[in-house]
Amino acid sequence: MKEMIKMMVVLSVICGLSGLTLAALKNATEARIEEQVLTYVQAPSLTQVLHDYDNNPIKDRKKFARPGAEDEITLFPAMKDGKLTGLAFEIFGKGYGGNIGVMVGFDTASGNLSGIGITTMKETPGIGARIAKHGFTSQFKGLSPGRARLKAHNGDIDAIAGATISSTGTVTAVQEAAKLFDALKPEIAKTWP
Amino acid sequence: MNKLWKEFSKGLWKDLPPFKLVLGLCPVLAVTSTAENGFGMGMAVIFVLTLSNLLVSLVRNLIPAKVRIACFIVIAASLVVAVELLMQAYVYPLYQQLGIFVPLIVVNCIILGRAEAFASKNPPLPAIADGLGMGIGFTMSLTFLGGLREFFGHGQLFGHHVAWAGFEPVSFMAEAPGAFVSLGLLLCAMNYFTNLQRKRKGLAPIDGPTHDCGSCGACGSK
Repeated sequence: MKEMIKMMVVLSVICGLSGLTLAALKNATEARIEEQVLTYVQAPSLTQVLHDYDNNPIKDRKKFARPGAEDEITLFPAMKDGKLTGLAFEIFGKGYGGNIGVMVGFDTASGNLSGIGITTMKETPGIGARIAKHGFTSQFKGLSPGRARLKAHNGDIDAIAGATISSTGTVTAVQEAAKLFDALKPEIAKTWP
Repeated sequence: MNKLWKEFSKGLWKDLPPFKLVLGLCPVLAVTSTAENGFGMGMAVIFVLTLSNLLVSLVRNLIPAKVRIACFIVIAASLVVAVELLMQAYVYPLYQQLGIFVPLIVVNCIILGRAEAFASKNPPLPAIADGLGMGIGFTMSLTFLGGLREFFGHGQLFGHHVAWAGFEPVSFMAEAPGAFVSLGLLLCAMNYFTNLQRKRKGLAPIDGPTHDCGSCGACGSK
């Protein structure tokens, strides 16, 4: 009995101490980690998809509730002289090796795509991974969302040879982003007039 | 001092973790696609292994034998989470490269193996020496294997082009199957040299990697 109590006490104390230390460490690093994620994952693609702005889209980011879903989505606004010119957010599509993160930018005046960029993906190197290359992503620039489909589905996008799943995943993500953009339009107009 | 050096240096060659003990192969295979990744993973392991050896050795007399494994794992897991948070905060690109294999250090056999076989039976100083030695040996092995695969797979070393003009990279080496092939060939070469060494000393050759029970002790035999 005495041994059992000792076992419980020792294990609980060790677990408690670890928990406390880790909680303190997490608090201490949290702000820095968020900043690092934004700089390394989202910032590079943000500069690809947003054009013509004089604010800092990462600093001005704002969370919105996703219509029809529980979670939130972070929107990055591009503003010039205090007026909203473009908007970007990250959305996920199904790829060949897990989710593909696509940063989709919209031109708010025309509603057209201002560009897309790949943030995270685990596609096959040399095949599916080519979706992150300029040759594929630049096709989306300036397209109206309705045309941003693969050529096989009456769109304007050339799929990557041998990487149908990765190409389709990206295009699906863009389509979903367009839907979300439409749904969020009233809210966006309220937040950034 | 002599004893400390002995504990430290055994991890560098005699009990070299991946190639002589053949322990911790999961990260060895998975993250060695480039020398830099191998090095980064090795650094994380040095940190966790040294500190876990120290902590385990400090509390070795307090822990009841029946829950020792659970205690070791809690200690290792906390250290690994700490490493993960610190990597995210300060070297995010490396964290992106290593991905899931950082949390998996918890179940790396080397950590638990050293805690159980060495740190739980020795005072803190030798335990630190052992952890550092094993960690550095692990890092060297990973960096070497990573460098090999990076060179043949991309013609680069630590991200710099080193191959001669006209070198055709064998991209197979940089992908998963290449890890198995190059590890197999390396083990083969290691065994060849071990036997060559033994032959020179007039000892009978051995098949397969050597290690005495002192480096494992899982079955309880001495």
